[in-house]
Amino acid sequence: MGTTTEPMAEPAAPAPAKQPPGPPSTANQRRAQRGSAAGLFGNLALVLYFAFSLLPVLFIVLLSLKSNAQQTTTYLWFTPTLENYQTVLGLGDGGSSYVRFFLASLATSTGAVLVSLLIGIPAAYAAARYRFRGSEDLMFTLLSFRFAPELVVIIPLGVIYQQIGLYDTIFGMIWVLQLVTMPLVVWILRSFFQDLPAELEEAALLDGYTRRQAFLKIVLPLVRPGIAAVCLLAFIFAWNNFIFPFTLTSGDAQTVTVSSLAFLGGNQVRFNLVAAGAVMAVLPPLVLALCIQRYLVRGLSFGAVKG
Amino acid sequence: MTAIDVRSLHKKFGKLVALDDVSFTVDDGEFFCLLGPSGAGKTTTLKSIAGLVQPDSGSVSLGGQDASDIEPNHRNLAMCFESYALYPQHNVFDNIASPLRSPNLRLPDGEVRERVGRTADMLGVGHLLDRGVDQLSNGQRQRVALGRVLVRPAHAYLLDEPLSHLDAKLRTSMRAELKRIAHGDLMTTTVYVTHDYVEALSLADRIGVIKDGRILQVGTPQQVWDTPETAFVAQAFGKPRISFVSGGLVNDNGVTRFISSDGAITVPVSGVDAQAGETVQLGVRPRDLTLHTGAGEQPAGTERLDGVVYVLEHLGRQTEVTLRIGESLVSVVASRRDAEGLGVDDKVSLLLDPARVHVFGDGDDGRRLSR
Repeated sequence: MGTTTEPMAEPAAPAPAKQPPGPPSTANQRRAQRGSAAGLFGNLALVLYFAFSLLPVLFIVLLSLKSNAQQTTTYLWFTPTLENYQTVLGLGDGGSSYVRFFLASLATSTGAVLVSLLIGIPAAYAAARYRFRGSEDLMFTLLSFRFAPELVVIIPLGVIYQQIGLYDTIFGMIWVLQLVTMPLVVWILRSFFQDLPAELEEAALLDGYTRRQAFLKIVLPLVRPGIAAVCLLAFIFAWNNFIFPFTLTSGDAQTVTVSSLAFLGGNQVRFNLVAAGAVMAVLPPLVLALCIQRYLVRGLSFGAVKG
Repeated sequence: MTAIDVRSLHKKFGKLVALDDVSFTVDDGEFFCLLGPSGAGKTTTLKSIAGLVQPDSGSVSLGGQDASDIEPNHRNLAMCFESYALYPQHNVFDNIASPLRSPNLRLPDGEVRERVGRTADMLGVGHLLDRGVDQLSNGQRQRVALGRVLVRPAHAYLLDEPLSHLDAKLRTSMRAELKRIAHGDLMTTTVYVTHDYVEALSLADRIGVIKDGRILQVGTPQQVWDTPETAFVAQAFGKPRISFVSGGLVNDNGVTRFISSDGAITVPVSGVDAQAGETVQLGVRPRDLTLHTGAGEQPAGTERLDGVVYVLEHLGRQTEVTLRIGESLVSVVASRRDAEGLGVDDKVSLLLDPARVHVFGDGDDGRRLSR
């Protein structure tokens, strides 16, 4: 994308360099003209990028509507059919456990996010406000869960899970997904808490509120955009996770990401069924994003617009 | 009775020494000003009293009771923060009402409305009650922050530069208003932090001058003005500042005289706690000097210093004249009539009453040597 955005800056740049600062009205006009020209190019670039990044999505949606015979074709004219969706949902004669996997996914992801929030919010607050021996080490350890590849721990985890009876349980999945969601929640929310002046809580204390009340009444409402943003991110990461359910579940707690594999095995590779499953699997994160959209923009751009 | 007793507080932030043996007491109903430059430890002292900062050693007693184990929310202190610390999600009304609705007071709604309205009107923010905090100017925010303190009864008010962001006119009127509140019916004990000596002199019953985490002097406005204990304290009060001339003491037939290092200024000084030969500095406040233009008799008992005009600043009715005497610069505030027609490098004389000079040891921290 860099190549498409760079040229638009060039024609605008020489104008202010040559002109000494003039009367404010003309300067404003010039800025407005330059602003609208740059805005036009900017919007055009954004539209191009939007189209570019939506192409895979479009491809999957089209694929999910194709019949078995046409599933490997790439041209756009074909006879759309909802057959794939029926097959995936088990409405046809074949029967399917997609709905069960979908619900398991929903339960593990939601559970993982809730547990992470429940423990992560106080942890992030403590990490932001209190310095204690080893607090930075603790935070770094937490962060290292994010950049250490999951494959490193998967074999011992598999053995342990089998032994203590967490293998193929929703509870076990929620637990192991904390590796994914907890660092996200703690690290992102910590910076939100750090952005709030401690004097707000101190003022609440002197107003006569307890520390808990000061946190719940004053601090928490102010980081709501951050919680919304981190909720969505954590949910997406948990929902999309493949390697943990792949190795730690086999049936009861298996998630949609893993179950889609079943369509690729057997005597026939069914890309169209995978696509139909994927399109439906996109829905929960999408619905969540739409629900918290109000806070999301503020949450993701927090810090930049702090006045 | 003692309302607040601060006993040898020490506090370090990393390697930075914020408080170095800070002690003072504030009596019931007293208005105590803590005056010092920025970074002197004023806010840290205030937060230690409030319980928001844990001192490394030392103690704070409130009403005779050791407060070390009392949580900030149970100390019954109201504090106005320099950063205002207003709750951004609440409007002005809810901000001011916050302490009244807390578990400590829990006043009924009617009384909350009544008190908030009264306080806001007094501070001139009564028309802003429905506004969000982000829609206020800094001066308005500061008054709302002050309102959150004054709205409720408290063991003591802790005010951290509560007038610093107001414009000059408003500051003067708010100062008068604060004085009325502080010395009115309530007589709430107040610790007031400021770097403005005028605020300190006009508001305080007693002033504590603090610098680099140390209390240099505690006294009434009269005391800190008349008998400053160090050169720094003398410099902290008055505008233009007190002039210092460094030099030494000599014994001249039983009379101790101060002679400036270049020999241009000699003044007899009495009652000085120092040996002849010691390096000292002489402090003279610009308003304790008079410009002597040559005409008229020199009043008895005054010393005459001859110099040339170095800088002239005409400030309306008065003129600030800085003279060069030998190598030293001495300021004097003269009436406009006396300074009429003066120009730079003109020769002029000053008359000085030897009873009104201050002798300090060498340097900023030089202790007072004259009695």
